Amino acid sequence: MARLLSRRAALLGGAALGGTVLAAAAAGTGYLAFVDMDGPDPHIDGDRAVLNAFVALHEDGRVVIQAPRTEMGQGIHTGLAMLVAEELDIPFDGRIRVEHPVEQLPVYANAGAPLRTRPEAMRGPLMWAASRALSVLPLMNTAGSTSTMGLWVPMRRAGAAARHMLVAAAAARLGVPAGALTTAEGFVRHPATGRSIAYGALARDATAFAPPPDPALRPASAWRLIGRSQPRLDLPAKVRGEPVFGADVVLPGLLHAAIRQAPVFGAAVARLRNAAAVRARPGILDLAVIDGRGVAVVATSWWAAETAAAQLDIAWTETAADRASSATLAAALQAALGDERAHEHLREGAVEAAFGPGAAPLVKASYTVPFVAHACMEPMNATVLIREDGTAEAWCSSQSPLTMRWGVNRGAGWAGVEPASVACHVTMTGGAFGRRGELDVVAQAAFLAARHRGRPVKLMWSREEDIGRGVFRSHAAARLRAALGPDGLPAAYDALVAAQAVQQSAASRTLPFGQGGSPVGDRFTVEGLEKAYYAFPARRVRSRHVPSHLPVGVWRSNGYSFNTFFTESFIDECALAAGQDPLAYRRALLRASPRHRAVLDRVAAMAGWGRPMAPGRGRGIALEAAYESVVAQVAEVTVAADGEVRVDHVFCAADVGTVVNPDAVAAQMEGGILFGATTAMMSALTLDAGAVVESNFHDFPLQRLANAPGVTVEILPSGLPPGGAGEPGVVPVAAAIANAIHAATGRRLRALPLAVTETIGTRRTRSLLPGHAA
Amino acid sequence: MISLIVNGRPVRVDAAPDKPLLWVLREELGLLGPKYGCGVAQCGACRVLLDGQSVPSCVTPLAEAAGAAVVTVEGLGGPEDGLSALQQAWIDEQVPQCGFCQPGFLIAATALLARTPRPTDAEIDAFIDNVCRCGTYPRIRRAIHRAAAAPGQG
Repeated sequence: MARLLSRRAALLGGAALGGTVLAAAAAGTGYLAFVDMDGPDPHIDGDRAVLNAFVALHEDGRVVIQAPRTEMGQGIHTGLAMLVAEELDIPFDGRIRVEHPVEQLPVYANAGAPLRTRPEAMRGPLMWAASRALSVLPLMNTAGSTSTMGLWVPMRRAGAAARHMLVAAAAARLGVPAGALTTAEGFVRHPATGRSIAYGALARDATAFAPPPDPALRPASAWRLIGRSQPRLDLPAKVRGEPVFGADVVLPGLLHAAIRQAPVFGAAVARLRNAAAVRARPGILDLAVIDGRGVAVVATSWWAAETAAAQLDIAWTETAADRASSATLAAALQAALGDERAHEHLREGAVEAAFGPGAAPLVKASYTVPFVAHACMEPMNATVLIREDGTAEAWCSSQSPLTMRWGVNRGAGWAGVEPASVACHVTMTGGAFGRRGELDVVAQAAFLAARHRGRPVKLMWSREEDIGRGVFRSHAAARLRAALGPDGLPAAYDALVAAQAVQQSAASRTLPFGQGGSPVGDRFTVEGLEKAYYAFPARRVRSRHVPSHLPVGVWRSNGYSFNTFFTESFIDECALAAGQDPLAYRRALLRASPRHRAVLDRVAAMAGWGRPMAPGRGRGIALEAAYESVVAQVAEVTVAADGEVRVDHVFCAADVGTVVNPDAVAAQMEGGILFGATTAMMSALTLDAGAVVESNFHDFPLQRLANAPGVTVEILPSGLPPGGAGEPGVVPVAAAIANAIHAATGRRLRALPLAVTETIGTRRTRSLLPGHAA
Repeated sequence: MISLIVNGRPVRVDAAPDKPLLWVLREELGLLGPKYGCGVAQCGACRVLLDGQSVPSCVTPLAEAAGAAVVTVEGLGGPEDGLSALQQAWIDEQVPQCGFCQPGFLIAATALLARTPRPTDAEIDAFIDNVCRCGTYPRIRRAIHRAAAAPGQG
């Protein structure tokens, strides 16, 4: 944790800004974060030679790479390390250690996600200013499938700059010009004399050399690592069961806490009826109401805390939401669809005229999806230590050290403590899916830590708290219509979606200032509705914000997770109305979108589209462009006579731009498909008396091996810069399955989940089409 | 005091007999491989071998493990390179994503191969009912087949 910020960064707001402007202008690119800016100057830190914000070397050849994004299973630490290793010219082996940085430096910021743009496109003074502001915070988050997009150039520059310094050090030591030296496999070589020096032996010397302002990067033709599958660096520890997660954090003097939160969001603790009895239980050290909405028990072990928390007898205040139910929430959605005061996001061409009197044949359909939970396998947890001197330290499987820091400050503030500093340790996460950008559990842990100064406190929610007391993907409903032209293709397309706005809800919980802005026109709500790649002569996209008392947040692929189910089901309905094959229909609509059509054609070939299937089986196709990537999928289903529906296989073709680690991208597609298929087939939260009914995996079931489809993935070659991979795989699968069920049965299912889940024994489930449940 | 053998080592534990084995392992013995995922024997992240049987340790009282041999994921490794054939197959197939559920899958798969050295996909699906939220199921099947076919196995 050396604090050796460069003078340029320390003077941010003055010389640093000017310098960055000049550098950005000179480089002619949008990459505003430079290796030699906003990070540490080269220095020695213990036995490490720190060459820049991303790269440090040990004398024995170990290389430490700072990866400022959370490893949550997507393999990002490996991918980012590959980028550094490619340019640094080191072997990709066990000598590479990847760490999530503790220091929150501007150079680590992720401005791309909130600015909805990739770095290459960040041009102009406004974009520069916005990006700069986010860097000053710095906004560090792992979200929006942006990690590779955003760090694709900076990590390579970091490696190239470090290599340049090592070569300079070798040149000085050997007394030869740098131009006479080459590098390979972690050595600087002097071919003329056959001499070579290991990087580790040069590392200390290298800190004396200035980083180059704009190090050249290798051309694609010279890549050794990028595009070739490398084994994940984090997997050996994970198969050995090593403690890499927030839930595994153990510290001297650690206290453990469990919590019970209000079943109805907005309710508060009215009365704790048995505080004395709970306090008297063995191992219980503290009992505290947190922020009004929960009661925590602090104990010497989590098991003691949790079993005591289970005994809490809490009376909650009544709220206006106590009468809310799934029926009232659904009714509010439907009412919003009937309300013409929608926010217009997009209008192209003569939409109204196309739907006017005497118009072409219309296709209309309405769709819905329910609220769903993230259900990360690692329950929500955070560990916070606030020392007597006011310094604080936090450990959390978080998607954002920035929100961690805000969370510590907020929770400590509830206890009247203002931390002097907060050091944030981001651990690996046992799943995240957007849930871990929230600061709720960190704030709660910090509040408890502030009551126990000098002792670290780890708060872990039970699974029941996670499923029913957390943050949800909004429910949504849509009304889609199309006016078909003479060729059967939509001459006009009109989409209206009703959902609870994500951005305002999340921001109101997370930002330390303000209420998060207006919920009207939420950009997440309409993701996946535009269908820009389809050649519609006229189109309109509108949304309605439907508030509820439930907190909604980002959830792997956000609006795409429902809108693409709506739109790609609807395109099938249009094709059917036009009497055309769904693949051929989409191909016609993609006449001006060759990238998308190539992906669609690939998946069709993989799946053998058009080959006859046995009775009761069906095949469905769907496509989406999301996170700068294009993904198409074909699902194959079997529907039995008793209504049991199985997703047998999903084929997936993806163009994610330049691929860093192909096997990791394939794994993300596989995982995204299973995440999306589980959601499509079985996920729903229901509300009764204002509270979430589901509480654990018995009533919020997930697919297991026995009902998980097979998956085949192909990644198309692409010369584009990297796109996202973590979320796009989720997106098309619900529609592909719904379209396959239609092909198998003739039934058009317009609501998720597509099936009713029947439990077999204690853990197994099967899926039955609606109307077939026992 | 309750005696048991954990990963080949005899241990004596001073804990309530009804304390779940999971929390004895995590809190009393410092074995953090078995995970808490649900607490109700639904997800399998806590699975350990109890006298060779794969059991959900989150609902197994310590008393039930008295005198028994418990193996956690930390105890699966072979003597030479420290990884069992299954663990090596898990790396070869690049199975884990987040990895949180994988200790439980490795335990369940170990128990499966002990009774069915060359399982079919159907036998794998029938025996292992753990939950993985990241969606590693296709690779888990592949890794089990790979381990089953490894030299010295089955």
